[in-house]
Amino acid sequence: MTMPSTHLLIQTIILGLLVGGVYALMSSGLTLIFGVMRVINVAHGAFLVLAAYLTYWIFQFTELDPIVSIVFTAPVLFLIGWGVQRYILSRLENPERSSVLVTFAFAITMEGLMGTFWKTTFRSVKPEYVNEVIKFATYRIPVTRLIGFGAALVVLLILYIILQRTNLGRAIRATIQDRSAAQLVGVNVQAVSALTFGIGIATAAVGGSLLSMIYPFNASSQTDWITRVLSIIVLGGMGSLPGAFIAAIILGVSEQLTAVVFRLYWSPIVFYVALFLILIFRPQGLMGETVREKA
Amino acid sequence: MKQSLIFRNAWLFVALIVLLAYPQFQKNQYYQHVMIMTMMAAVLSSSWNILGGYAGYTSLGHAAFFGLGGYLVALAHNRYGWHPFVSTWFLAIIVTGVALILGWISLRTQGSAFVVVTIAMVFIFRLLALNLSGITNGARGLTQPRPGWGDVPWSPEFIKVPFHYIMLVLLCLTVFVSWRIRQSKFGLGLIAIREDEGKAEAVGINTMLYKVLAFGFSAYFVGVAGGIYSYFFTYIDPQFIFDVFTGVTMVLIALLGGRGTLWGPVLGAFIMEPLGNWIIGEFGGTQIHLTVFGGILLGVMLFMPQGILPTITNVIQQRAKARAAQVQS
Repeated sequence: MTMPSTHLLIQTIILGLLVGGVYALMSSGLTLIFGVMRVINVAHGAFLVLAAYLTYWIFQFTELDPIVSIVFTAPVLFLIGWGVQRYILSRLENPERSSVLVTFAFAITMEGLMGTFWKTTFRSVKPEYVNEVIKFATYRIPVTRLIGFGAALVVLLILYIILQRTNLGRAIRATIQDRSAAQLVGVNVQAVSALTFGIGIATAAVGGSLLSMIYPFNASSQTDWITRVLSIIVLGGMGSLPGAFIAAIILGVSEQLTAVVFRLYWSPIVFYVALFLILIFRPQGLMGETVREKA
Repeated sequence: MKQSLIFRNAWLFVALIVLLAYPQFQKNQYYQHVMIMTMMAAVLSSSWNILGGYAGYTSLGHAAFFGLGGYLVALAHNRYGWHPFVSTWFLAIIVTGVALILGWISLRTQGSAFVVVTIAMVFIFRLLALNLSGITNGARGLTQPRPGWGDVPWSPEFIKVPFHYIMLVLLCLTVFVSWRIRQSKFGLGLIAIREDEGKAEAVGINTMLYKVLAFGFSAYFVGVAGGIYSYFFTYIDPQFIFDVFTGVTMVLIALLGGRGTLWGPVLGAFIMEPLGNWIIGEFGGTQIHLTVFGGILLGVMLFMPQGILPTITNVIQQRAKARAAQVQS
């Protein structure tokens, strides 16, 4: 354990905040889906990696900037997500119990297919600005991370506006609060669920496109990512968007700090330690209600 | 309900004789290997079933106990010369102790959240095994001497035979304990928890104690199997032994055969494990293996959520009923 200098500490915190923003985006869809359907989409990590691969693919063929390719990846993944909920998950008899295994099955099937198709080599998208750094005072900020953070904030803002200002958003929030009551006042809960799933997966698509230029990935990275985003939403309180945001920032910063203070290879443990501590001391998460099935 | 409708005692007897005689008439090393792995899969899945089937708590993290058992046995063998065939039974008690603590923490959650926590368990152990390299030798893993007894290694033709029999003993023990639990008040309590935890608590079942105990039981046999496995392969490393997929396979096998039934996991193992070996032999690579297992899991969840054994039992019972009705009329 080494105590870093103040300068390094601040530099690390800046990087942590930037990463935290991307984490927040990645976990926002997952927590939203849980809020509406009480379904934990274990395939979220696989969708992230799928989007990363699509971005990589588009970049290989057209040299299109990863940020621009979001325009393609997000709608495609929205449709996939919508279809998964509409045609598969909605048919489960007891979704709260069985959805985890079903989405897990999705995750490993997707991992297998992606591994077969794109092989196991680690990939990453390298646009021209991949190594560029912006100097701010004496701090160095990699451009890709800054762009990732900015894009994440924009999408989160859009998500926030959809939830607060549109009829769909009101229906989603009503369904989160009380599913049967929402149905009683005329919300088409099935349609809302499918749309929410679509939106949730579309945010994963954006997250995946950003991921593709920040981290190297291959098919089996999906397990890494799913544990990260799941830890974030458990820490934040499942179903709570603000909770996920705060938890993502906290974990992003702590992860970077662990890497500097201890060793890089200990940094993933931050997520698991946070997960277990929160379960012991505050099982409902930072901003959530109790993680228990409602009777 | 007598769920052993198909597997009456005579079947059990025949199956046992076949398994006892198997290495005597099957001299092909590959098929001997597949049989050992199949019995191990049956052990793992039956053990998982005590928690996942009876109490209804789906753990995807039992690979953590598998790996822990493997590491403890390998370390005890290399450092103190304890023979794995003996030590694994005792060292798995440590695994059970760890499981009791982890169970006490993780069983505060239910449903989906519990699944997530159990997945995290595997990653924690893998990370520890990777990074505590002073003990575990890190990513390079641990190698044990070639299996044998005393200083004499077993000959290549004979080497699978001892593993076959110890795995058979473990399988019988696991199924026996699982059966005893099912018959007991403890087992009834677990099933009550699965059906309705709130009501189970209301009728005076100490649900937390029951769940944690079930977690411990279901970790023990997985730990023993992990110990034998590490000796069987003589080499383990963190990536290989702390693999979430090991846990997924246990769940898939139990679901396929019939979750919560005594023989379902065994039946599932005798279908999935040879199939898995065939896929790897035929197509090579683990990616197709992953795809097929995922696809089967999806298919079972969507179209046969009860599993094979309960489905068949239902059909037979309905036929019997129909026949009885015919005789009456």
